[in-house]
Amino acid sequence: MKIGGVYQLPVARDRAYSMLQDPAILARCIPGCGGLNRTAGNEYNMQMKLALASISGLFEGKVRITEQNPPESFRLAVEGKGKIGFMKGDGLLRLVDKDGGTEVSYVGDVQVGGTIAAVGQRLLDTTAKMMIKRFFDQLAECAGQ
Amino acid sequence: MIAQNFEYSSPASLEEALQMMAGGDAKILAGGMSLIPLMKLRLATPGHLVDLSRVPALDGVTEEKGNIRVGAMTTHFQVESSALLRARCPLLAAAASHIGDMQVRNMGTIGGSLAHADPAADYPAALFALEARVRLLRVGSDRTIALSDFLVDTFTTVAEAGEMIREVIVPVEEAGTGVSYQKLVQPASGFAIVGIAARIRKSGGKISMARVGVTGLGPMPYRAVGVEKMLEGTAGTADDIRKAASVVADGVDANTDIHASAAYRARMAAVYAGRAIQAAVSRAA
Amino acid sequence: MAPTIITKTEKLVGQRIRRKEDPRLITGTATYVDDIQMQGMHHACIVRSPYAAAKIAGIDTKAASALPGVVAVFTGADTKDVGPVPCGASLPGLRVPYHHILAVDRTYFAGHPVAVVVATDRYIARDGAELVEVDYDPLPAVADPEKALEAGAPAVHPEWADNIAFNFHQEGGDTAKAFAEAEVVVKQRITSQRLIPTAMETRGVVADYNTGDEALTVYSSTQIPHLLRTLLAQMLGLPEHHLRVVAPEVGGGFGSKLNVYAEEALMGFVAMRIGKPVKWIESRRENYLCTIHGRGHVDYYEMAARKDGTILGLRLKLIQDLGAYHQLLTPAIPTLSVLMMPGLYRFKNIQADIVGVFTNCVPTDAYRGAGRPEATHGIERMVDILAAELKMDPVEIRMKNFIQPEEFPFATATGLIYDSGNYDAPLKKALELADYPGLRRRQAEARKQGKLMGVGVSTYGEICAFGPSPATPAGGWECATVKIDPSGKVTVGTGASPHGQGEETTFAQIAADELGVGMDDVVVVHGDTAVVPYGIGTFGSRGTAVGGPALYYALQKLKEKIKKFGAMLLESEDVTFVEGRCVCNRSGKSVSLAEVAGASYRAMKLPPGEDPGMQATYFWEPPNFTFPFGAHIVVTEVDADTGKIAVSRYIAVDDCGKIINPLLVDGQVHGGVAQGLGQALFEQAVYDENGQLLTGELMDYAIPKATMMPWVESHHTETPSPVNPLGVKGVGEAGTIGCTPAVVNSVVDALSVLGVRHIDMPMTPEKIWTLLQGGQA
Ligand SMILES: Cc1cc2nc3c(=O)[nH]c(=O)nc-3n(C[C@H](O)[C@H](O)[C@H](O)COP(=O)(O)OP(=O)(O)OC[C@H]3O[C@@H](n4cnc5c(N)ncnc54)[C@H](O)[C@@H]3O)c2cc1C
Repeated sequence: MKIGGVYQLPVARDRAYSMLQDPAILARCIPGCGGLNRTAGNEYNMQMKLALASISGLFEGKVRITEQNPPESFRLAVEGKGKIGFMKGDGLLRLVDKDGGTEVSYVGDVQVGGTIAAVGQRLLDTTAKMMIKRFFDQLAECAGQ
Repeated sequence: MIAQNFEYSSPASLEEALQMMAGGDAKILAGGMSLIPLMKLRLATPGHLVDLSRVPALDGVTEEKGNIRVGAMTTHFQVESSALLRARCPLLAAAASHIGDMQVRNMGTIGGSLAHADPAADYPAALFALEARVRLLRVGSDRTIALSDFLVDTFTTVAEAGEMIREVIVPVEEAGTGVSYQKLVQPASGFAIVGIAARIRKSGGKISMARVGVTGLGPMPYRAVGVEKMLEGTAGTADDIRKAASVVADGVDANTDIHASAAYRARMAAVYAGRAIQAAVSRAA
Repeated sequence: MAPTIITKTEKLVGQRIRRKEDPRLITGTATYVDDIQMQGMHHACIVRSPYAAAKIAGIDTKAASALPGVVAVFTGADTKDVGPVPCGASLPGLRVPYHHILAVDRTYFAGHPVAVVVATDRYIARDGAELVEVDYDPLPAVADPEKALEAGAPAVHPEWADNIAFNFHQEGGDTAKAFAEAEVVVKQRITSQRLIPTAMETRGVVADYNTGDEALTVYSSTQIPHLLRTLLAQMLGLPEHHLRVVAPEVGGGFGSKLNVYAEEALMGFVAMRIGKPVKWIESRRENYLCTIHGRGHVDYYEMAARKDGTILGLRLKLIQDLGAYHQLLTPAIPTLSVLMMPGLYRFKNIQADIVGVFTNCVPTDAYRGAGRPEATHGIERMVDILAAELKMDPVEIRMKNFIQPEEFPFATATGLIYDSGNYDAPLKKALELADYPGLRRRQAEARKQGKLMGVGVSTYGEICAFGPSPATPAGGWECATVKIDPSGKVTVGTGASPHGQGEETTFAQIAADELGVGMDDVVVVHGDTAVVPYGIGTFGSRGTAVGGPALYYALQKLKEKIKKFGAMLLESEDVTFVEGRCVCNRSGKSVSLAEVAGASYRAMKLPPGEDPGMQATYFWEPPNFTFPFGAHIVVTEVDADTGKIAVSRYIAVDDCGKIINPLLVDGQVHGGVAQGLGQALFEQAVYDENGQLLTGELMDYAIPKATMMPWVESHHTETPSPVNPLGVKGVGEAGTIGCTPAVVNSVVDALSVLGVRHIDMPMTPEKIWTLLQGGQA
């Protein structure tokens, strides 16, 4: 599934970029994330709890940041595995100055497998968008602090 | 059904049910039409289910001071066939009649549907058009809020842990109001690809009030205020309706799935909005 | 013994008789696999791969094994000596991947079984399955057959560099000449999408091993108990006579249970290992992921013709999505499509090239029609496309090319001998029922008003009664036994293993007529290898067409014996057996069937050369297939704003030879049409590019519900088959075969005003709407 979108952050580009590389901030913004543990340079392990409607599941996940080109772009890969299936997201994020803040745009791919893929069909797109929106909303909140 | 182990309670009174919910870990079981399929697949693994089916007086439809109260445990079939609703708030009965299939309507409840907050559920379209309110109970708390405040996102409501939907409150329809619910059905599940509810009042040959609720199109159901504004004050000609309906998807990030692309959904929202409004206009006196 | 006056009662064959099996089905008293309970029975839950392709780096079963109530956990390492899941079909050069019952080091499709957890109840088994830790290294997968053929596509089976399982070429006549002489050539890519059979009852197995007798009993929801026994015995290394297979009540198969599945052998293995009975019931999700799918064709057709509409030849390139493995008949299914390519038409130049492609999906195999719906859809679409090209009426072009009644038996370019036919008859009847000229007038008026109305005509032929043994992998005959008890009651055993088709009724009709007894005097038993000597099973519309004649001949054999005992009792040489009595033609004295049967068991005296008892068995080998045919006419209206299709009339005229019970024939047609409409309008198994099945539940896979069905006007013509003494041909698949082209032809006809020539199935509203916007669907 292809995904893409644009978000506006109320901070300068350098700051936006560094926030997006900061494991503490990422941990606060990734929905359900219980903290990031560095395993290698830009690789982290995490535990993620998905809770949506009555659906809930624990995922063992990984976050990886690559192709860093500060403050313009980088690639973010997030994956999680759990009893109810797995998900994998990989996207290129680009940052540009806009209206005194930073516009972050992303294009990527989301892959979902296992039970969640089969039952969530009708709702996958909506749900993926919502999770990404929550991520950026939270990021905007962090930026405001 | 091979669900994970869970504790099951079947309280016999509202107080008892609320007490059980107070810990925040329990989950309500209403019709089970959304919850049980998820439990079967172990996508939902509640530790404790509180079955409301024995709690007295949680279902039923009553009229009181210009309002109709629909108890949370009222089944879709009860809503669809309620003489009171059919006469006094026909839009809600019409929406209920479009839900899923007969088996689902016999089991599923209005409270369960609202709590589940499926972005393609039928009720919210009608309830947005009716400017409905939702009454929520918890030990020590009893609040009634607008539907627009209750639903916040895909599958997300403001109901807090331990909080229960007690009832849904809709206004008694004024005589002469024309209503219609129109739905494009996803053939596998019966859910809406798009569903549109319209309420129209006329006075002096003009549309004096228009309410349009939309489901299925975006991340959550909504009231299409832009459409309403464009309709109000017009004579409600076919052209007026088409123009107004064409903005129904404006600003909405339409859903895409294997059943319908965003572009098709958005277009169908306009087509079905046109049809629902047209039908409501023709029924309005 | 008083003289008897025999009054001829009306025959039961040909009557609309309600099914004997219905009361138990309707009242919930039938016994399906999941209804079986046994002392000490354990339950199995299967751990399945969420990845379409992955290396298995390791499996940790410790936590699962430690769960109280779990008695065993087995992985591929434990089961690797169990024989492979068998493929019964052979083709020259066929690549056959070794199909372990549990994955050993790699998984090949999402849902691939990896381990099994056995516990004292279902819930614990399921809990245990969640505790099995499988370490997967995901690999690239390919789900689309055309993509799988591209250079650089991930290899589904790494031992082969490409994904081609076989190439198959068949040619008849001189296609090159036909195309060289053609005045017009039409070409079209036509797909037949992957479908999920969706039997109401999912699969299920109970295996019970008796350590003392060293005997295994396997209860399975299968269409082929005897073949399953033979093949399971090989897989498990068990002497065949130590294995009994029972198919209890089976809640639908449609070909999906015409197979031997990993789980059947796996439960046998588990039962033998734990020495306790074990049950596995497939969930709907597993059913969608792991039970075979149907269809899965991408076909490229070219048709050569003269300007007057005479068809000269047909070329086909057929890409068959096989999935990851060969199940029992997987690679054979597209060859059936090729056999039926000529349809009902006279032309004799045909060339077909099949490429069978591996994908990281569940295997395809026989699904109601099995290859013939794909072929019929192709040829009937092509005939309509040709008619449109030549501006001819679709009826006229068909009648012009039909094989004529006097040309039977007719040898086709694909090597078949069509038994009998009168192809004009059902078409003419359908046209009359539809008031075809009236429909065309209405259509012209509708078009004037800007409305989209379509009239679709499709004729079809099918190949049934599988089939002469040389044409089938495991024998194509059928077996029947008839036993008359000392009291005169009749038990019919059939090797066809009916599972919803109603042979308990039709076979009772046949036996009751032949023996002159009532319906209630006959019981039909089946589906148990300990009760019926052997049998091939029910599939390919063969139950009545092959099992019926076997029964007929067994009855004739038995009637000879009855007459001999009757003659002995009546002390006469001149005896007739009629209406359930042996009558002496001289004295008029008679004895009843019960008296004859009783005497045969008491055996105080025996007719010269006869044994005691009253039982006969017959194995019948059919001399040929049968070839039913028919015509379907469908009227549709298309909503121009939404693309929604409404089927306003559905007329089916089917000729399935002699009709034994019109009620059951109509039922078969209705069900077949429902599945055909499902394919035409709603159904499609959708995999994403990584091999995840997105239509993994009934919430996303749209089978038609009762409320979505049009009224099916089912009518018949009767052209008896000369192949068997009953004149029957088979009707189980007719509806599915006739339906899809009729519906698509109708919608294409509606949209032809916009220049639309073809639409691939399923014709979803969005696809139609996109066409209406001038886009490519
Ligand atoms: C085949 C099928 C087709 C369907 N088609 C449609 C359709 O076309 N349109 C449509 O709108 N819906 C459809 N549905 C959903 C159906 O309407 C459900 O009945 C409804 O969404 C949930 O209601 P329920 O009473 O079954 O709730 P349950 O499944 O029992 O509960 C759902 C959720 O709500 C919570 N809950 C229930 N009651 C309360 C309460 N009083 N207060 C707080 N929380 C509560 C539960 O804890 C749970 O989280 C379909 C369902 C199925 C199975």
